Amino acid sequence: MLTPLITTARESLRYRGSGHVLWLLHRVTGLGVVIFLGTHIFGMSMATFNPPLHEAMLAVYKTPLFSLGEIVLAACLIFHAVNGTRIAILELRPALWDKQEVATRWSVIITLILLAPTIAIMAFKSISYYATHGLR
Amino acid sequence: MRAFPILGAAFSIPMKINLKIKRFNPETDKKPHWETYTVEVEPTDRVLDALHEIKWNQDGTLALRRSCAHGVCGSDAMRINGRNMLACKVLIQNIAKDGDTVTVEPILGLPVIKDLIVDMEPFFAHYRAVMPYLVNNDPLPENGRERLQSPADRERYDDTTKCILCAACTTSCPSFWARGEYVGPAAIVQAHRFIFDSRDQAAQQRLEILSAQDGVWRCRTVFNCTEACPRGIQVTKAIGEVKEALRTGIIQ
Ligand code: HEM
Ligand code: HEM
Ligand code: SF4
Ligand code: FES
Repeated sequence: MLTPLITTARESLRYRGSGHVLWLLHRVTGLGVVIFLGTHIFGMSMATFNPPLHEAMLAVYKTPLFSLGEIVLAACLIFHAVNGTRIAILELRPALWDKQEVATRWSVIITLILLAPTIAIMAFKSISYYATHGLR
Repeated sequence: MRAFPILGAAFSIPMKINLKIKRFNPETDKKPHWETYTVEVEPTDRVLDALHEIKWNQDGTLALRRSCAHGVCGSDAMRINGRNMLACKVLIQNIAKDGDTVTVEPILGLPVIKDLIVDMEPFFAHYRAVMPYLVNNDPLPENGRERLQSPADRERYDDTTKCILCAACTTSCPSFWARGEYVGPAAIVQAHRFIFDSRDQAAQQRLEILSAQDGVWRCRTVFNCTEACPRGIQVTKAIGEVKEALRTGIIQ
C-alpha cells in the first residue's frame, strides 16, 4: 500500500513541533549522505573500471555548483553527527527526557559552531582555486 | 492585562478568528477539502467551544467527537495548527490572536470516518495487544484483601497511570503514520504501567510482545508523543525505559 507512504511524506512536512523538525532534518540529511555515498563509491570504483569516466566526474566536482554542494554535504554530515549524538544519548538515558527541548536547541547551536569555520575554510579554498584556475 | 489574568478574563475582549477545518463526507466526497468559518470567541474559550459555535449555529453537518469537554474522556484529540491536542484543553488565546486562522484536522494514521472523527479501532487493537490488565496468579493475601505495595513501588509507574487513551501520542508519531502495525506510544505507555508494577507477574510476556518487529524498536525518539500528550505523560521516557528493560534484561 502506497497510502501510508504518501501520508508520511506529506504530513512529515506539515506536522509541527521542535522534536519533529529535528527528526525530519535527521532523516533528510541521513538519506542525502547515503545517496552521496552511493555515487561516491561508484565514482571511486570507476578509477579502476573506467578511468575516463572517473576523470570526468572529478572534473564535474571542480565546478562552483558542486563546490556549493560539497558545503551542503559537510553541513549535512555535521548536523547528522551532532544530532545523532543527541538522539543516542536521549535514547540511552530516558531520565534525561526533560532536557529534550534544550537538547534540540544545543544540537542546532553546536552544528552552527562547527559549521561556521568549515564553511569559511571550504569557501576560501574553492574561491582561491577558481581565482587561480578560472571557471570552466 | 497579562499581569492580571483574572481581571483579564473578566474584561476579556471578544475576538474574531477563522477556523479552517478539514472536512470529509464519505457519502459525497472522494477527497477531504478545507472549509473556513469565522467565529466570534472569548480569548479564554477553548477550540472545542469554537467548534460548538460552528456546529450549533453555523453548519450542523460538521462532525466531531467529544464527550466530557474537560480533558478527561479522551474523545476529542485532533490536530490543531499542525500538532495534536485535545480541543477541550487548548485555549484560543494560547494559539491565536484576533483575526488569525486556526487549522483543525483529524488525527493522522487512522481512517477518517467523517470530518474530525476517525476510526479508533486499530488504536484500541494495539492497546489490547499489550495485556493492559494486572496479572497475578498468586493466591490472594490471607485477609482476602488487596495486594500491598510500598508508596515507592506505587510511585514507580505513577506517570503512566494517567493515560486517557486519546491517541494524541500514537497519531503524532511518524513511525505510526508509515506503518499502522506499529503498536505505538499509547500502547507502550499502557504496557509500562503494568511492567513496572511490583504486583504484576506478566512483565516478561509484555516485553516479548514489545520486542517484536512492530514493538518499541520502531520508536525513533522523535518526541512528538511527549509534546502531544494532554496529560503531560513522559511518553518518550516511558518508551525509553521499556527499551532499557529489553536491552539490559533488568526491570527496575
Ligand atoms: C567531497 C568530499 C569527499 C572527497 C573529495 C572524497 C574523496 C575520496 C577519495 C579520493 C577516496 C578514495 C581513497 C582511496 O581509494 O585511496 C574516497 C574513498 C571513500 N570515501 Fe570519500 N570523499 C569525500 C567525502 C566522503 C564522505 C562524505 C563519505 C561518507 C559518507 C565518504 C566515504 C568514503 C568511503 C567509504 C570511501 C572508500 C570506498 C571507496 O574507495 O570507494 N567520502 N573518498
Ligand atoms: C558520527 C556520525 C553519525 C552519527 C552519530 C549518526 C547517528 C545516527 C543515529 C543515532 C541515528 C538513529 C536516529 C533515530 O533513531 O531517529 C541515525 C540514523 C540514520 N543515519 Fe546516521 N549517524 C552518523 C553518520 C551517518 C552517515 C555517514 C550516514 C550515511 C551514510 C548516515 C545515515 C543515516 C540514515 C539514513 C539514518 C536513518 C534516518 C531515519 O531513520 O530517520 N548516518 N544516525
Ligand atoms: S499517553 Fe497521553 S497522548 Fe497518549 S493516549 Fe495516553 S493520554 Fe493520550
Ligand atoms: S471531550 Fe473529553 S477529553 Fe476532550
